[in-house]
Formats: sequence, C-alpha cells, structure tokens
Amino acid sequence: MVESVLQNLTYFVPETALVVTFCAVLLADVIFKGRPRIPWTIGLLGLIVAGVTAFQQTGLNRPVFDLMIVVDPFAVFFKVIVAATAILIYLMSLWSDEVKASARRMGEYAALLVSATLGMFLMAGATNLLMIVLALELTGLSSYVLSGYTKEASDSSEASLKYILFGAVSTGIMLYGISLLYGLTGATDLIGIRLALEGQAMTHTPMLLISSIMILAGFGYKISAVPFHFWTPDVYEGAPITVTAFLSVASKAAGFALMIRFLVSTATPSLGVDVMAVVQTFEWPKLIAIMSVLTMTLGNIVAIWQNNLKRLLAYSSIAHAGTMLMAVTVFSQNGVAAVLIYFVVYLFMNLGAFYLVMLVAGATGSEDIDSYKGLGHRAPLVGVSLVIFLISLTGLPPTAGFIGKLYVFSALLDAQWIWLAIVGALNSVISLYYYVRVIRNMYLRDPDSAPAPVVLTGAQTVLLMVFLVPTLVLGVYFAPLVDWAHASVALFGIR
Amino acid sequence: MVPLSHYLFLSAVLFMTGAVGVLTRRNAIIVFMSIELMLNSVNLTLVAFSSFLGNVTGQMLVFFVMTVAAAEAAVGLAIIIAIYRRKQTVNLDEINLLKW
Amino acid sequence: MDLYTISFYMFAVLLLGSAIVVVFSRNIVRAAFALMITLLSIAAFYVLMMADFVGIVQLLLYVGGILVLILFGVMLTNRQISVDIREGAIQTIPAVIVTSTIGGILAGAIWSTAWPMREAARSVAATAPVIGEMFLTTYLLPFEVASVLLLVALVGAALIARRERKS
Repeated sequence: MVESVLQNLTYFVPETALVVTFCAVLLADVIFKGRPRIPWTIGLLGLIVAGVTAFQQTGLNRPVFDLMIVVDPFAVFFKVIVAATAILIYLMSLWSDEVKASARRMGEYAALLVSATLGMFLMAGATNLLMIVLALELTGLSSYVLSGYTKEASDSSEASLKYILFGAVSTGIMLYGISLLYGLTGATDLIGIRLALEGQAMTHTPMLLISSIMILAGFGYKISAVPFHFWTPDVYEGAPITVTAFLSVASKAAGFALMIRFLVSTATPSLGVDVMAVVQTFEWPKLIAIMSVLTMTLGNIVAIWQNNLKRLLAYSSIAHAGTMLMAVTVFSQNGVAAVLIYFVVYLFMNLGAFYLVMLVAGATGSEDIDSYKGLGHRAPLVGVSLVIFLISLTGLPPTAGFIGKLYVFSALLDAQWIWLAIVGALNSVISLYYYVRVIRNMYLRDPDSAPAPVVLTGAQTVLLMVFLVPTLVLGVYFAPLVDWAHASVALFGIR
Repeated sequence: MVPLSHYLFLSAVLFMTGAVGVLTRRNAIIVFMSIELMLNSVNLTLVAFSSFLGNVTGQMLVFFVMTVAAAEAAVGLAIIIAIYRRKQTVNLDEINLLKW
Repeated sequence: MDLYTISFYMFAVLLLGSAIVVVFSRNIVRAAFALMITLLSIAAFYVLMMADFVGIVQLLLYVGGILVLILFGVMLTNRQISVDIREGAIQTIPAVIVTSTIGGILAGAIWSTAWPMREAARSVAATAPVIGEMFLTTYLLPFEVASVLLLVALVGAALIARRERKS
C-alpha cells in the first residue's frame, strides 16, 4: 500500500509542489507579518516549480491513484497553460493598486492564487467524477474568495456572493447528474462508466441524457457558456483586475479541459467500439453547436454597448469561449487541437489586454473607454500594444489571434460544419466593431481634459513584452505550437 | 420493502423543492438553505443507489458531498456577513442578482 | 404494510413537509428549524437503508455543523434589525410551474428506466470498517484533496469575514 502511494506520488510532483507551496505561503504570512513580499515570493517560486515539473511530464501517459486522475499529454498541456497564467498574474499583481491597497492581506491573496492553480491542475487530469467535483470546488472556492478580495469596493463582495450562489447551484445540479449516472452505471470513474454503458445497450436512454445534461451544466458554468453565463460580467467587473484576467484564462482553460475529457471519454467512439450509446441517442454535437452560437453571439452583441473596458473584455471573453466551443463541436482531433492552440494564443493576447487596462486604470483611475481618448498620442507604446492585442482578439493577421481562429475554422470546414463557420465569421465582424471603437478613441479623439500621463517603468515594459512578443511571433511562426497541440491530443483516443 | 424508485421520486421532489427556493427566494441565507436541500437530495439518491446496488461507492461520495456543502456554506455565509456589515441587507433584489 | 414501509412514508411526509416550510416560510428562523427536521429525516432514511455510518455523520456534520453555521448567519445578520424579519417571495407561480415540468420529466425518466439492481444486496453489516478502509486506499487522493478544500474554505472565510483594523 505504502509503496503504491509513493510510486503514485512520483507522478504527482507538480500538485504536491502546489500543496506544499500553499501551506508554506500561509505559514510565511503568519511568521513574517507586515512583509507581504516574502509569502508572495514563496508562492511565485512554488508556481514556477509546479510549472516546470508539469512540463517535464510531457510524454507520460498513465493513470495514478486508482483511476482518480491521469497524467497524459492533454492534461500536461493544460497544466502548463494554467501555470503560465498563474505566474504572469503573480507578476501583474506587483503593480496592481487593487491588490496593494490591502497589502495586509496580500499573503492570503498569494495563497489563494496557488490553491486555485492546484484546483485547475486537478481539473486538467481528473478522470473520476468525484475528483472532477472536488477539483471544480477547490478552484471555485478559491475564486469566490479572490473575487471578493477588495472588500472595500462595494461591488467586489456582491460579485463574489453572486459567484458563489451560481456556483453552488450549478454544483448541486452537476452532483445530481452524477448521482443518477452512478445509479445507471455503478461507477464513478470515466472508464468504468464507458465500459458499463457499452455493456448495457440502450435500456435507459432518457435518464442517461438527463444526467449528462446536468453534468454538462457544471462545466458550462465554469466556461461561462450561455445559458450559464449570468455571473460572468458582474464577477469580472467586480473582481480585482488581476483576478478577472486569471479567471478569464486559467479557469476557462481548466473548464474546457474537463468538458473535453468528459465528452471524449464517455461519448465518442473509442476502444474499437463504433458509436457510443450517448452519441447515438442524442446529437451532442448539435447541442454544443447551438450553445456555441448563443454564447458567441450574446457575448459579442452585449459587448457593443459596454463603456467600461473591463466589462467589455468580460463579454468578449464570453464570446471567445463560444468560439472555442465551436471547435469542440467537431469532436475530432483537429477540433480539440484547435482549442488547445486557441488557448495558448488567447493566454497572451487576453492577459496582455487586461494588463494594459490595469496599468491605465492605475494611472488615470478609470476603466472607462472615454478615458482612453488620445492615449495613443500620450503613451505611444501603450497605445500600439493595446492596438495589437485588440487586433489579435478580433482575429486579424498578422497577429496570433488569426492563427487561433484559422485552426478553429479549418477544423469546422473539414468536418462540413459550414453554417457554423459562417456564424463564427459574422461574429468576428461584430467583434471588430467594438474593438475598433477603443482604437478609434485612442487615436482619433482628443481627451476631454488634461489627462494623467501613463508612464511605464522598465520592469513594467519587460512584462508587457512578455505578452506582446508571443502575440506577434505566434502570428508568423506557429509550427511548434501546432505540433505540440497535435501531440497532446494524439494519445487521447479520438480519431 | 420499499422499491428503489420510491426513494428516487422522493429525492427528485426534494431536489425540485430546493430549486423552487433558489428561484423564488430573495433572502441569500434562505437561498443557501435551499441549496442544502438540493445537496441533501443528491446524498439521498447516492445512498439509495449504493444500498440497492450493493456497492459502497455511493456512500463514499456522500462524505465528499458533505465536505463540499460545509465548505460552500462557510465561505458563503462569510460573504453574506461581509455584505451585511456594509449594506445592512441580505436581500438579493438590492444586490441585483440577474443583471446582465 | 410492514413497519419498514410505514416508517418510510412517515419520514417521507416529514421530509417533504419540512422542506416546503424551508422554502416558503416567511420567517427565517422558522425556516432554519424546518431545515433541521429535513436533515434529521434524511438521516432516518440513511438508517432505513442500512447506511449507519452515513446516518451518524449526517447528524454530526449536517445537523451539528452546517445547520449551526446557518443559524449563526441568521442571528448575525438579523441582530441589528429585528428577530422576526419578513421576506417576500416573488415569481412563485412561474418558478413552481417550471420546476414541476422539469420534475415531471425527471419522474418519467426514473419510471421508465430499468435500473441495474442486484437482488438481496442489502445486509445488516456495519459499514464503518469498509468506508474507513476505502478512505485510506482507493479514496486516498480525494480524501487529501478534501482536506485542502476545507483549509481553503477556512482561510477564505476568515479573509472575507474578518473586520479590517484601521491602521
């Protein structure tokens, strides 16, 4: 028993590192009171260790801890994305006024970022419904608290109340679905469920459908797909901007990892069996296609009316989730690889945009689009970078965003989803409208009054380059990324 | 002997009662109580299946559902108290729940 | 009607009656006490299904822990207004219609499903040893993750609820 635990632990180094870091940060926060930089540094080091050790797991493919969790290239890919996001958020927090305003609690902030990362690592690999729930809940609880971090700001704790209420209800619905699926199959691990369903033919299809939809509701909440998106704009607006950026990338990535794994393990042809019971009785791709169209369209159309850039980016992140759902619809290796590629691209462009919004808000005290008037002339570097991020978010060449969209659309066209591709293209046009509105304000409008200058320090510029360079480079040199994404999907059991 | 379906009907009704509470009540604490009803109906279903399948897995899940419920309740009530301290209300109408 | 069936229906009535009080009561303290009855009758069902350990944990954790927590929440948020706070419920009719439609579909599905059942699977053996062993073998990882989860909840609740000292 002890030997098997120790052996399993060797495949569990990144997660163990995060647990140790979490405890160390909490302890350091108590020991070094009033010096929040110490726990912050420990947390950063722990995240780097976790990210590096996760990356070293590339190529492994084995279940650990009695099928509770799996270490495979797909999980590793998402762990690396999550770790990278967490590290960048850590660095961004250095200049966040919202975080610094309550420096006394910065240790807890650092610890909760680590625990959220741990939850997302577990989400990336979970292959048991119980682990899925626990990982979702660990991520969820950390994010509820983080989004209420600046409790002096009145909308912050309301955002987190809304977040936890929606979260608890969706967890409840998901758990009910899980309990029904357990009743049908007698198993909670995804492989056991698949074997049980293959053995039993289709004697209980309505129940299977109901339970699967209930479980999907839990994932839909995490990736804020319509109709489970209600919490997103308020939480994104109320939370500190670093937390918003973290949730919009890492939390979504982990949610997509879970959803794809659940659908692929239980619902697509594999193990030599032609068509799975779930797919045969119900057209999952169509349901997800409709969900993706609604998510994209709602996100884009509502974004048009926003005057707060943070809220605009929140709606645009709903729209991006819709775009990625389009690629999930295809249910093919190309489709899943397109999601992975899109996430890497999305990481840099979205974090970059949020980073600039944070810096500008720090200088001018406002996230309003009007406060960006004339910014392009006042702060050329900030202006040009923001233009590049926004163009990339629209999906125009020569930026990385174009590559992300290109692979999504080519996967769609390969699989003959022509109408969905057209809707997706129309949505990109809508998104162009509101992104350009920001650019127009920066370059073609004069500021109303004498605005505060936006000056970047050297270190801030370096971090900006970390976001900016990949956004540009991945737009022209993307072969390694594509190869990595395909390799991460190859062993995943779909054709 | 009571058949399995009776237990399932009972927990389905309990789940839906909780859902009505979540949808209609505007007091955040009562919404939390309704969520507890939903989670308890999940547990009832799990134990029923566990008992009728002769498989202890369902009972194992129950403990974890309870853990999740306790953690959610603790954080949720902390948030409610923080809001109440500032606003003197726990009514969700004044907190604009479904604004989008 | 044997004793088992009679007690099943008795507790079913108690369960649903008290659940309805929780959801529709206008007095929040009454709702909290109705929740206690709901939780106790759930424990009774666990005992009826021979899940003795789950039943005891339900009493300790739910009735003794979570419910007390909720009562604290009720008392702390009502203190400054009054004990008898009245809350209006709105949109009750549409919500009831929607949920009973979904519930009807669910009931139909439960009815039409051939649940895979093992005959005479129930035994009167104590479940605690089996459960305890599984916690430390198959369920070791979830067990540890659950402990991290509780630690996060502890830190988070303290972070949110504690008063900021003015420096």
